[in-house]
Amino acid sequence: MKAFAYVNATNEKDAVAALNTDGMALPLAGGQDLLARMKDYIDSPDRVVNVKNALDATVTAMPDGGVKIGAAMRIVDLYEHRQIAALYPAVNAAAIEIGTPQIRHQGTVGGNVNQRPRCWYFRNEEFVCYKKGGSRCFAVNGENQYHAIFGNDGPSHIVHPSSLAVPFVAYGARFRVIGPKGEREIPASEYFTMPTLANVLKENVLGDEELLTHVILPAPGRVRSGHYEVRYKASHDWPLAFATVVVALDGTTVSSARVVLGAVAPVPWRSKPAEAALTGKPLDEDTAALAADAAVGEARPMSGNAYKIQIARTAVKRAVMRAAGLRTV
Amino acid sequence: MARYSWPDKPTLLSTAVKRIDGPDKVTGRARYTYDINRPGMIYGKIVRSPYPHARIASIDLSRAQNAPGVRAVLAYRTPGDELLYQGDPIAAVAADTEERARDAARLVRVRYEPLPHVSNETQALQDANAPTWSTTQANTRPGTRQETGDLDAGFKQAAHVVEQTYSTHVITHVCLETHGTVCEWDGDKLTAWVSTQGVHQCADGFAQALGIPRANVRVITQYMGGGFGSKFAPDAQGIICARLAKTAGAPVKLMLDRKEEHLDTGNRPSAFAHIRAGITSDGVLTAFDGRSWGTGGAGAGSGFPLPYLYRFPNRRRTHTDVYINAGQQRAMRAPGHPQGCYLTEILMDELADRVRMDPVEFRIRNAPPLAPNAQWVNYFREGAQRFGWNRRHATGDPSPGPIKTGMGVSAHLWGGAGRGSQAHVDIHNDGSVVVACGTQDLGTGTRTIVAVVAAETFGLPVSAVKAEIGDTNYPFSGGSGGSTTAASVTPAIRVTCVDALAALFARVAAALGAPADTLVAEGGRIHVSGNPSKGMSWKDACKAIGTEPISVDGKWQDGLSGAGTSGVQFAEVAVDVETGIVRVKRILAMQDCGLIVDTLTAESQAYGGVIAAINFALFEDRILDRETGQMVNPNMEWYLLAGMSDVPQIDIVLHNMPERGVIGIGEPPTVSTASAIANAVRNATGATIRSLPLHPHKVLAAIEQERAGGTL
Repeated sequence: MKAFAYVNATNEKDAVAALNTDGMALPLAGGQDLLARMKDYIDSPDRVVNVKNALDATVTAMPDGGVKIGAAMRIVDLYEHRQIAALYPAVNAAAIEIGTPQIRHQGTVGGNVNQRPRCWYFRNEEFVCYKKGGSRCFAVNGENQYHAIFGNDGPSHIVHPSSLAVPFVAYGARFRVIGPKGEREIPASEYFTMPTLANVLKENVLGDEELLTHVILPAPGRVRSGHYEVRYKASHDWPLAFATVVVALDGTTVSSARVVLGAVAPVPWRSKPAEAALTGKPLDEDTAALAADAAVGEARPMSGNAYKIQIARTAVKRAVMRAAGLRTV
Repeated sequence: MARYSWPDKPTLLSTAVKRIDGPDKVTGRARYTYDINRPGMIYGKIVRSPYPHARIASIDLSRAQNAPGVRAVLAYRTPGDELLYQGDPIAAVAADTEERARDAARLVRVRYEPLPHVSNETQALQDANAPTWSTTQANTRPGTRQETGDLDAGFKQAAHVVEQTYSTHVITHVCLETHGTVCEWDGDKLTAWVSTQGVHQCADGFAQALGIPRANVRVITQYMGGGFGSKFAPDAQGIICARLAKTAGAPVKLMLDRKEEHLDTGNRPSAFAHIRAGITSDGVLTAFDGRSWGTGGAGAGSGFPLPYLYRFPNRRRTHTDVYINAGQQRAMRAPGHPQGCYLTEILMDELADRVRMDPVEFRIRNAPPLAPNAQWVNYFREGAQRFGWNRRHATGDPSPGPIKTGMGVSAHLWGGAGRGSQAHVDIHNDGSVVVACGTQDLGTGTRTIVAVVAAETFGLPVSAVKAEIGDTNYPFSGGSGGSTTAASVTPAIRVTCVDALAALFARVAAALGAPADTLVAEGGRIHVSGNPSKGMSWKDACKAIGTEPISVDGKWQDGLSGAGTSGVQFAEVAVDVETGIVRVKRILAMQDCGLIVDTLTAESQAYGGVIAAINFALFEDRILDRETGQMVNPNMEWYLLAGMSDVPQIDIVLHNMPERGVIGIGEPPTVSTASAIANAVRNATGATIRSLPLHPHKVLAAIEQERAGGTL
């Protein structure tokens, strides 16, 4: 590992200031992503800025009935937070499925949202892909069984690795970000970026000297939500596909819906066709199946991952069924 | 020879004795090679080829030599050498910290001339213009060819013929303790702490490679974290470690990291077979024609038994070794058997369905006849009853909903004979006992069974015996491979202890007023046989020893161990047909291993074997990028291994057969699990998946194919 300077920031302002350096500076919170990247020679920062003591690690009730989640909050604390579980059950459901108990006790909300791709080409230093300044995506002609089935225009074909980002987008979260020019708020749905040749080194709009400080969830209103993840292994594995569904009901009829899929695209993938399929229908198993079919209608798999279409379909169907309070299997 | 036998009414043998080193292991007192730290010790790191195939143009060690903390550098290869796989070792450095060694290794500048490479079996076999794995050798080599009976006649007798291609994949050993060594020189004498399953074999390897007398090498392995067949020799890392230590004039620790472990410490070869097989209308096998191939990597073979176990009276099998640019295979827990078993057993269920026979009945009809080392017929019957096989539905779970359950069965065999092993025992005048044997405990409980056999023989509690193993200073014993350890070591311990006990009896016979050969040792006492009151405590008896301890050498003798085991396993799975995810619900393992020495350690072997095979069936897969030939999952994140939640209920039924002597059980229980799971998945879904692992993409594809008209 390359030798690096270590800065322990104790407030937001100092943290942002510490990120301003001639060389490469990267923020460290739970370390579940960054330390592994450094040990594997994927990133070799000149400066590591510990932001865990600088950022909020609590949940604050907001005047509108929503909540503000500090980015330094540990995933286990998010999972155990009663108000989160009551108001945003899909966030709770996503949190408990992340990694292992050790990872959940160490990893943070901000780290989960901002972690770099888990693509095996990105994570092995031999492969100098677009995301490491190279000029190709090895997944295109290679081993792409865990890569994207949506948003496959390239140049990169990663799937976004965050489990929490998906329910955050589904609940209409806003992300508070601080930087040298002060703070800004960005809708979660606009935070994550589809890859282009210009932005492929990143997965979101966060600047080099910016930090995600809070996830602000609006009051959920009278909605029902469901979350479903499909994993190959029952323990410690990345999901093959998952979905969060948030629906508002008018009587027994869906008046509006948000359907967001994870592990299927370079960003948390909002499915407008699935939302349209739900709207105006009763919340039942038939509607769930229709929404699931609609969700995968726009899938464009790669050479070795067409099977993920069926898995994504099932994730959406079962997320809707959970929202409806139905048994999934 | 009749002198040496196992006791008719043992007090410790075949009972549940806890591992004597269990507390040391769970408290961290046990010191594995990784834990060895020597005064002044520094750390080694190997530079390896990033390319699957390349020629070395030049090696420049100067920058590494001058890096902070570096104490030794060496070139393991020379310019012009051909590198045959990613991870092929090239050079090495040693530095005062592990971090500095890693950094310095990256400063070794190697210039490569990349050569065309072969990433998988398909590429190797595509056509005559395919790239070759080596500049001097072809991609294939003809392997074994066997023919028995009259194949044409066999197929003429057949009412049904199944013709399919089946395959298994490459997996690596994934020893939790990686390969590695600590080497320390004292003049021209080398002491090496090695994570090895063969201390004496390793010492031979060091002596040969380093050109030093065997007498100058001592290898120590007190505890080790798994070998599974991949840890018999010093390997490149051991020799490099010794050379770095010599150059640096300091002890060197060189443990591989997980990536190196995946790339360069062996693997289980892949296995493919195109098979035609015939049966009569009443379910009797008539013919088997199999053309098989597989890869053991860069220049290593890929043989396996085929057909497996069942009686095909007329059969032909040809095999081709396929070479690719990947690390070489090594023996892996029952080498060849899991592959041959899977290829045959999945075929067996396809055949059984052709004649609408129950898979258990079909197997009984075609299994070898009952014999002490061939208990399959009994195990099929008893196991079916224990498992609730009568609740099994025909192929394809008819119940509604996405979760389909199914049951499968499979059988296996193994050898596991004993062989030469020596032992030494000292009985001291304070009553203490030391038994020494230069075997090693690769996690199977060898240290414990050494103590159990000695304690049984002396009539003492296990805690009264000090068992010394894992050191070439102790008498010779072979490598722990082929499930031979228990069958080799326990007879040697028994023979040596019986002789030592006879010597002790001779010392106390006069005092007890009875001939030595009428004495027995039991319950911590020595007394006249049939007359417990005419005796004395073990401790008092040992006072007669005097200042020179009773010191006896002995060795393995025939008659206390056996060979040949049989086993049958049943699996129940639940398959989510909307996701293709397989969950194993239950495994039942029926197994014999002759005389069971310690039921706990024997069962533990079976548990471990079954869990390893669940990994083989569902999760593990060495994935090489088809374009670059580089491994994409050299870690434990994408190289999947079962966690606690993936391990099902496992029931082990061990058949104790004391009359057969001790037989090893390290390998057989891992052979047939994967096949039983695969057959259970077939039974659940009605779709046949003809390759491992049972990844959701294959499960979903097979289900889709079955819905589209099926393959039956």
